[in-house]
Amino acid sequence: MHSSLEYLKLNKFQRMLYKIAEFFMNLPNRFAAKFKKLGLAIKNLGVNIAENAKDIWSTFVHGSWKTKVSYLVMGFSSFLHGQWLRGLLFLLFEGVFIGYMAWTGAYWLSKLGTLGNVVTHTEMVEIEGELYPQEIAGDNSFKILLYSLITILFIVAFAYTWYQNVKQCKALEEIDAMGKPVKAAKDDLKSLLDDQFHKTLLSLPVFGITMFTVLPIIFMILVAFTNYDADHDGYYNLFTWVGLENFNTMFKLGSNVSMAFGEILGWTLIWAFFATFTNYFLGMFLAMMINKKGIKIKKFWRTIFVISIAVPQFISLLYISNLFNDNGIINGWLMSLGWIDKPISFWGDGTLARIMVIVINIWIGIPYLMLITTGILMNIPEDLYESAKIDGANAFQQYAKITLPYMLFVTGPYLLNSFISNINNFNVIYLLTQGGPANYVWGSAGGYVAGDTTILITWLFGMTADAHNYKIASAIGIMVFIVVAALSLIVFNIMPSTKREEDFS
Amino acid sequence: MATVKLTNVKKVYGKNTVAVQDFNLEIADKEFVVFVGPSGCGKSTTLRMIAGLEEITEGTIEIGGRVVNDLQPKDRDIAMVFQNYALYPHLTVFENMAFALRLKRIPVEEPVLNKDGTPKLDKEGKEIKRTVFKKLPNDEIYEKVTNAAEILGITEYLTRRPRELSGGQRQRVAIGRAMVRDSQVFLMDEPLSNLDAKLRNQMRAEIILLRQKIDTTFIYVTHDQTEAMTLGDRIVIMKDGFIMQVGTPTEVFEMPDNLFVAEFIGAPKMNTFKTTLERVEDEYFVSPCGVRMPVDGEKGAALLGKDVKTQQIILGVRPEHITLTNKANPYAIPCTIEVNEMMGSELHLHVTSEAGDKIIVRVPTVSLTGAQINMLRTGARVYITFKSKVMHFFGEDEINLLTDKENVIGKLPEREIPAELLEEEPKKRLFKRKKADKQADEADQTTAGSDAQGEASVDMQAEEPRQEAEQTGEKS
Amino acid sequence: MKDDEILTTTPQNDDLYLENAQECENNEQDITIEDAPIDVEFDIAEEQTDIDIECADNVAFDMPVNAPTTSRAVYMPTEESVRKEHMSARRKSRISNGVIYAILVVMCVVWILPFIGILLESFRCESTGQVGYIFPKVWGFDNYVRLFTETQFPRWFGNTLIMGLVTAVVQTIFVMAVSYALSRNRFKGRKLLMNIMLIFGMFPGFLTLILLYTWMNDWHLTMENAPWGLIIIYVASSGMGYYIAKGFFDTISHSLDEAARVDGATQFQVFYKIIMPLSKPIIIYTILMGFMGPWGDFVMASFMANNASAGYNAAAGLQWLLVDAKINEWYTTFCAGGVVVAVPITILFMCLQKYYVAGVTGGAVKG
Repeated sequence: MHSSLEYLKLNKFQRMLYKIAEFFMNLPNRFAAKFKKLGLAIKNLGVNIAENAKDIWSTFVHGSWKTKVSYLVMGFSSFLHGQWLRGLLFLLFEGVFIGYMAWTGAYWLSKLGTLGNVVTHTEMVEIEGELYPQEIAGDNSFKILLYSLITILFIVAFAYTWYQNVKQCKALEEIDAMGKPVKAAKDDLKSLLDDQFHKTLLSLPVFGITMFTVLPIIFMILVAFTNYDADHDGYYNLFTWVGLENFNTMFKLGSNVSMAFGEILGWTLIWAFFATFTNYFLGMFLAMMINKKGIKIKKFWRTIFVISIAVPQFISLLYISNLFNDNGIINGWLMSLGWIDKPISFWGDGTLARIMVIVINIWIGIPYLMLITTGILMNIPEDLYESAKIDGANAFQQYAKITLPYMLFVTGPYLLNSFISNINNFNVIYLLTQGGPANYVWGSAGGYVAGDTTILITWLFGMTADAHNYKIASAIGIMVFIVVAALSLIVFNIMPSTKREEDFS
Repeated sequence: MATVKLTNVKKVYGKNTVAVQDFNLEIADKEFVVFVGPSGCGKSTTLRMIAGLEEITEGTIEIGGRVVNDLQPKDRDIAMVFQNYALYPHLTVFENMAFALRLKRIPVEEPVLNKDGTPKLDKEGKEIKRTVFKKLPNDEIYEKVTNAAEILGITEYLTRRPRELSGGQRQRVAIGRAMVRDSQVFLMDEPLSNLDAKLRNQMRAEIILLRQKIDTTFIYVTHDQTEAMTLGDRIVIMKDGFIMQVGTPTEVFEMPDNLFVAEFIGAPKMNTFKTTLERVEDEYFVSPCGVRMPVDGEKGAALLGKDVKTQQIILGVRPEHITLTNKANPYAIPCTIEVNEMMGSELHLHVTSEAGDKIIVRVPTVSLTGAQINMLRTGARVYITFKSKVMHFFGEDEINLLTDKENVIGKLPEREIPAELLEEEPKKRLFKRKKADKQADEADQTTAGSDAQGEASVDMQAEEPRQEAEQTGEKS
Repeated sequence: MKDDEILTTTPQNDDLYLENAQECENNEQDITIEDAPIDVEFDIAEEQTDIDIECADNVAFDMPVNAPTTSRAVYMPTEESVRKEHMSARRKSRISNGVIYAILVVMCVVWILPFIGILLESFRCESTGQVGYIFPKVWGFDNYVRLFTETQFPRWFGNTLIMGLVTAVVQTIFVMAVSYALSRNRFKGRKLLMNIMLIFGMFPGFLTLILLYTWMNDWHLTMENAPWGLIIIYVASSGMGYYIAKGFFDTISHSLDEAARVDGATQFQVFYKIIMPLSKPIIIYTILMGFMGPWGDFVMASFMANNASAGYNAAAGLQWLLVDAKINEWYTTFCAGGVVVAVPITILFMCLQKYYVAGVTGGAVKG
């Protein structure tokens, strides 16, 4: 619609109105489309599963006895076809799976419903006629949850492997029917460096990601539905499922947690907004200043700023944080100059601390932005500026009409990313203020006192490391995810460049 | 040094994007075959299927009598020259050319030795042998590469890197890299389209020479009909995944099977007129631009031989088969000159008849005086007439009325809707189509991705013009 | 509007100008369409030149430069006006450049000051706590001596170095593998894999702190063994940071792979003979990032070490010195430690700056 001639007749203000109206008018359609897509995806999934199940069944019914045996003894058919490597791997996997399930998997799963009911306690035990107090180990909720989860993952993996086994049987039958030679084990190994190379490449990293990201995150999501905290450590005091109670406390009006959550979420968004855009524009200006024709020793200027990227943040930020302490150099100077009588409490006053972290974040972020924008600025075709000059644009108009739109288009996805990483910008906040100054009005909740500069991620850390209030920490984590995911979805739907980037990826 | 046979080859992207439709072709040993057609006709896809760079959806491809469907490109014994040269930027010209040779392993039979170095013998006293795969010796590689370089005249560049070479030199290296392989089939995917016009003509001539030196089967893909006509022993003209005609350059020029081939081959393009072919007794008449003229000579006889009845036809006349004439000629068509293009040896007149037909006339300047040429300027009125001996007659299905072949493809539907979608009930169809669309999208994205890569590869390959559009159309 | 100015300021010019204008109109009527504009231009231009000079002599400001740009007249710059225009443009840019230099110098000072501050602080011997001035009163290496003798800094430094090296190597292998596979291969489940990584990447990393700790603790990879546990944690999920390298691979033409495959290379040979040599910048970038990661991380490090100071890395250890109770005793030592850590890293970084910039810029543009 933007390209229609009608639209071109509108003036700037009307165009803006038009765009806004269009966006909101399209919103229902977009959502409808999204839901439709989702529905279709689910339906597809269902159809796929049904089709596969049918396939598995028909393979069994029409299959030879080799195939039928393979349904129970995995890899049997492969063995008989001389693919000893595949057969061995299938069989080995089956053996390990059955062994694991029998040995421990079934036990963990059986406890999953309650997360344990035998508490570790001390009993008097008779040893050689004397009674001694002895600790009797009971259940461990934490381990039950963790190993149940691993067991479930294992079962999923097994189901998938079993399905592969069936598919393999089917393929072998087809090969039999056509009288083609069967791929030998040597070829299988060779293909891992050739047409199956991606499997070689991905197996270890994906395993790592599954075990150290996917599994832990699912675990922590589950924790949000339990009462795992300092009082229920899962060992001396078992924890158990509590349903949506944690979210209930989080959103229930008037509760401590919900008050703190509201305040912290608000500040997190404010912080992310300022941290992103101050850096973005100031960094761009710095890059433009250095890039300007006639400015000499460009490399020198850049290098100076790059140093602050090179030095680990904990050194520079901790030093800066101490600079502004009550007895730090800044206060010392100001007092010796006679401008103030008593030290300014940079970190003690909520509003001042908030301004300070944003300002100091500029110090951290600008060099980085300068590097990025320098490259992009240099990519803007020079003739755009030349034609603008001929059309009579002044420096500011050139910036507003050429540089900024170009930059926004190219760095659109980056802006989104940097907004998100600022929501999660732990370092700057934690190293400067540790979330302080503590705010006792709304901050103390769930065993931890949040402060004026606390953002969600430092709150989460505090809940985990200081208060051991894991259930709330998990709920916070889920909230962070929701905020980030929602933002990404919205922005990805609006921004033109992200769509294009998607095409490119 | 091998035949190539494609049987019922079909390529479908996603579920309903058909790129190549039922492709049947036998290429003889040492033949030079050119696939030609407009963007998106599936010519590159076919070539890439022969190379093993695309999977074959249906059908079989044989090279030298061996079905290669499931073989990796490296196992097919082919060499290929790419449109954008695809030279390895980090290797010198020599190493670029030697790359394949260094990877090559030659099976050698050698005796199995005992520990003391004597050959191991089996029970009957024969030496036990085993096959060992050996690298090519270095001096052999050197010899092959320098030989090829000499033929191509790039010996002095052997130590340079690709980015230090000009477009033409890079193209030579690319050809050289394929040459040293001594492979069974030599595939070329629009090798000249990145060169400028002058260099292209020069390289075209060189490829003709080269072909005499390397005696192997060539398959050459191009969108340029001139290249096709000048290079090919046989030309395969494609459109929308279909083979429109296969034949020698003379065949396709003189007896195009259908209107598409007729218009595609030859420059300027053939003139076409919707008109009626009248049969009066044993004589035929056509009336292009409202001027009724008899079809005489061979063509008339041929039509009679086919027992063609009176019908609506599309009449095709090549620009060179139209001559200027005067009012007195009973078959003169009065026209006004709109544009005249002086090409030197010939003059292309774009004229409009009174009936409003746009006609291109090609007039050799050798028959005209300078003053006459000047008179043929825009706005001038001229009379033209057609040589009926070389007229082409196409039925309403766009098939040549005079063709002897069977199963000739005529008019293609504007856009194909896969039969499976049409047969299904409406409700189900929506669902299926969505799914199919999604897959088509995926296929698109894949190609879009590779295009982006192609585009960005300018960094690696230094700046050079590229015909991305052509490739995109091709794949999607 | 400019006509008015001419009228008020220079009457003689005005007359001339009006005459000219009339002439022009007359001319236009007489001459054929084709020729008219040229004549008119010539007429006015010649007269205008004269006016220019007169004005320049009589009036103080730059009238003549503006005068000719009236609707009818054609601007014909004289040598002088050109020179003046150039001069003013040059002057303007000189002024603006001056302003920029001033800003840059101020900014540089602001950006460099903290580092100079740390450096000076590390040589201060008169006290170990914070002071309100910048230049030390007593200079010396006491802080460095204390750092290496009274704290476990050598151990921390060693821990971090080992972590950095191992992480750099393994992480690079992982990242290259994932990004190559995702960029080059179109396999079933590719989109799914990318979506899973995208979605799980949206969860805050610290969420899993407690689980990872418990887990590592089971394998005795916490406390003084924390560096090894940390290496596993850093490396295991590093495949998720594939975006930048994948973006780079995406820019390498696919026809190179295809050519190599036709030439007889397996996928693996394509990977290490063609793509890897072409990816030097991104490999170096990934190594650099992998190496620098452990130097900057203190949250995971201190959490995993759980107060066993032998297991700290440099960041956790130095931060530990600044705990409220100890800050007055160890502040200058912290600064010395900061210098010891920062100097080699900064030098390394500066050497590889080119690659860093390439990686960061590419990453930002690719998203």
